[in-house]
Amino acid sequence: MARTLPKTDVLIIGGGWTGLTAAYELAHAGQRCVVLERGKKRHTATSFSAPEEHDELKYAHRYSHMMDVKKETLTIRNNRDQQALPMRRLGSFLPGSGLGGAGIHWNGQLWRPLPSDLQMRSHYEERYGKDFIGPDVSVQDWGVTYEELEPHLDFFERICGTAGVAGNLGGEARPGGNVFEGPRSADYPNPPMQQPISNTLFGEAAARMGLNPFPMPSANVTKAYVNPYGAQLHPCTYCGFCERFGCGYYAKADPIICVYDRIKDHENFEIRFDAQVLRIEKSEDGKTATGAVYLDENGEEVFQPADTICMNAYALWNVHLMLVSGLGKPYDPKTRTGVVGRNYAYQTVAGVDAFFDDSVKTDPYMGAGALGVVIDDYNGDNFDHSDLGFVGGGYIACKQYHGRPIGYQPVPEGTPKWGAEWKQAVRENYNHHADLVVHGSSVSTPENYLDLDPTWTDAYGRPLLRMTFDFPENDRKMSDYVMQRAMEVAREMDNVTSVSGTNLAAVDKHYDIVPYQTTHNVGGAVIGTDPETSVVNRYGQMWDHHNVFVFGACLFPQNLGYNPTGPLMGLAYWTLEHMKRDYLPNPGPLMDA
Amino acid sequence: MTFRTVLTTCSALAVLGISAGFIHAQNYEAAPGISTMEQRLQDDVLRFNATVNTEVDDDVLELGRLVAMGGSEAGDSGMACITCHGGDGAGDGSGAFPRLAGQAGWYTYKQLKDYASGDRQNRVMSGIAKKLTEEEMEAVAAYYATISAPYTPPLGDVDGMTLQWGGQLGAVGSAERGVPACVNCHGPSGLGNPPSVPYLAGQYASYMAHQLQMWKEGKRDNDVNNVMSAIAKKMTSKDIEAVSAYYNRVRPTQPLPPETSPLLEPSTAPTQ
Repeated sequence: MARTLPKTDVLIIGGGWTGLTAAYELAHAGQRCVVLERGKKRHTATSFSAPEEHDELKYAHRYSHMMDVKKETLTIRNNRDQQALPMRRLGSFLPGSGLGGAGIHWNGQLWRPLPSDLQMRSHYEERYGKDFIGPDVSVQDWGVTYEELEPHLDFFERICGTAGVAGNLGGEARPGGNVFEGPRSADYPNPPMQQPISNTLFGEAAARMGLNPFPMPSANVTKAYVNPYGAQLHPCTYCGFCERFGCGYYAKADPIICVYDRIKDHENFEIRFDAQVLRIEKSEDGKTATGAVYLDENGEEVFQPADTICMNAYALWNVHLMLVSGLGKPYDPKTRTGVVGRNYAYQTVAGVDAFFDDSVKTDPYMGAGALGVVIDDYNGDNFDHSDLGFVGGGYIACKQYHGRPIGYQPVPEGTPKWGAEWKQAVRENYNHHADLVVHGSSVSTPENYLDLDPTWTDAYGRPLLRMTFDFPENDRKMSDYVMQRAMEVAREMDNVTSVSGTNLAAVDKHYDIVPYQTTHNVGGAVIGTDPETSVVNRYGQMWDHHNVFVFGACLFPQNLGYNPTGPLMGLAYWTLEHMKRDYLPNPGPLMDA
Repeated sequence: MTFRTVLTTCSALAVLGISAGFIHAQNYEAAPGISTMEQRLQDDVLRFNATVNTEVDDDVLELGRLVAMGGSEAGDSGMACITCHGGDGAGDGSGAFPRLAGQAGWYTYKQLKDYASGDRQNRVMSGIAKKLTEEEMEAVAAYYATISAPYTPPLGDVDGMTLQWGGQLGAVGSAERGVPACVNCHGPSGLGNPPSVPYLAGQYASYMAHQLQMWKEGKRDNDVNNVMSAIAKKMTSKDIEAVSAYYNRVRPTQPLPPETSPLLEPSTAPTQ
């Protein structure tokens, strides 16, 4: 029997970007907030300093900042006919653990969704006809519009001191920015990053082809900057240790310096580390949640009652916690009913390698997580899909985010995988490579979903989350199409001697959890306006339990052709605004089911 | 205002130095010969440290040595480098002038460029730098990067708590004040990160503290990554004193010869 603690106003599960932000905003609104973080306390200054942090083996390849899959993991299969097996090592995606969560080891690529992305189904049906989206694609509208999210997207960009060039300022086109983006209420708070030679040559080639290159929006800060919470950020040194590393330079916006340091001493704020939440408890009538049972740092079961619960874990673990707690109705693919676990989607990634002759030296060790030049011409519905047979798209970026000795060994197609010839090729090409990526969207389908595994359990005796996923046909076609466009730009670049492409979602390949692809898992607890097809209403509030609010990428009804942090933080501030303004003064459902 | 501060600090320290008896007269003998320097350039690490925009060869080192000893070809600068920084780059022992021996070559070269352009302000150094040609700047920077010099004992007494705080700031920074650790950029033990980031280990505390103060006040702002002003602004005077005193006492580590390692001498270990 768990020991019961005194009740708090708000219980926040997870101490990453969304959890700490929820605590900041709600504590300032007079709510006593308790944050439960399963990992350790750590701090940007004391935990992520170079030179120790620049240990590529320890952090990039042995995942020292990431979650421990010996305690919690998931099982994976490509389709319902297979037996799912546990993921015993991290690979395809890298969820975080500890203060700041995955917000510590992100790259800092900070995007907004396109206005049409948020109304995906109605937009495509309107432009291409009712039958354009096939029956095996379950994409839907988000229930919240770009105009509604814009102030919140803008605010988070200022929290991060984002560097970039506005392409659409209040409806007015701006040279050098993303011409496809929705109208912005303000320019980026900092000027764009300085681009290295490979990215510059990519941008020049794209411009010659009539495409629209612009610098990638970056939370690697370019000037000394104070954010709206009073956090001070420093300029980026282009050290090349962003993704998979913390930034001891205070140059990559992270949840510790940007949010935690500004709330940690507030009287309404408390955070408990080594606090592993096991389940959320419900009231007798099942209409509300009453609190959460967790293991404290001594391994003792504790029940923390609360009036309001915020679910701020990583996308997959929010869904898992709902399923093991009996929150919401689980999705059943046979009947295609239920919602929790429905519309899980991944990201469709393809890469293009271009190699220069000796006259172009790229200096790849000078890098940053969001150091890139991008074209958005083939993202979302920025191009005509009439005859293409798919929906969605992706951005094409030429980026230079690291030149680390273990992980960065680019060689042209046809080079042997090992031996003297391979070593020779690494020596010859290390300093002459352009790294292009197609960062594609992923549609949701009735057969890609999350549920509880019937066989395997975690270290706490709970059934593991089971992922049933393979790349949808739609995304295979999309990824191949956009990769071909990326190769055309690569061939147009000056001094390029060879170009090759790798599509991880190629027609003959199945999703494989081993090679790293992207940590952008989305969906499973999606946002919407219909309780038959969404777990939460358009304010992030659970339809079935009005005092539970859900945050993060699990809300996305399908995946965008962008990195998720910007969109999910826009949603977080949107939800928090409605909690403060509408819910807390008068708790109850914010929408009629 | 800036100049007066500099001069006051310098003269005060000079007095301190004299009373402590550490100032020694400069002489040409302290400077190594070209053959010694060429020998040292065979070491890859040292060669990288000496990097400037042109290839460093014996002609460059010879020119650098001439500039260090006799000032610029154009003359009129008033003094040669050795007057204050020593032929061996150890400074004059007063702590008013920075140690240059073994400093990253490109860093020193950039400082000379910035003194000449006014991006770094110092009445004495600006006058000198303006007389130097591009080649002379590179050569003298490469010269000082290539040589080594003994360390002068630190001036004045510092309490243990201050040193400990300085060491902590250097190694892990301050989460409370948002100060990143020095080692982030200045390398393990503050040994520098050539070509653009200077070493701190063994640098004079009074010089380093004064520079941090100038960064804090916005009077110096010429670092390549443009990070020092933001960091220094978060530091208190105590932080600056502590970190400067600490690095003044850090030395590049030399591996202990096996016979002096306590681990290998059980006979001298405590018996309990």
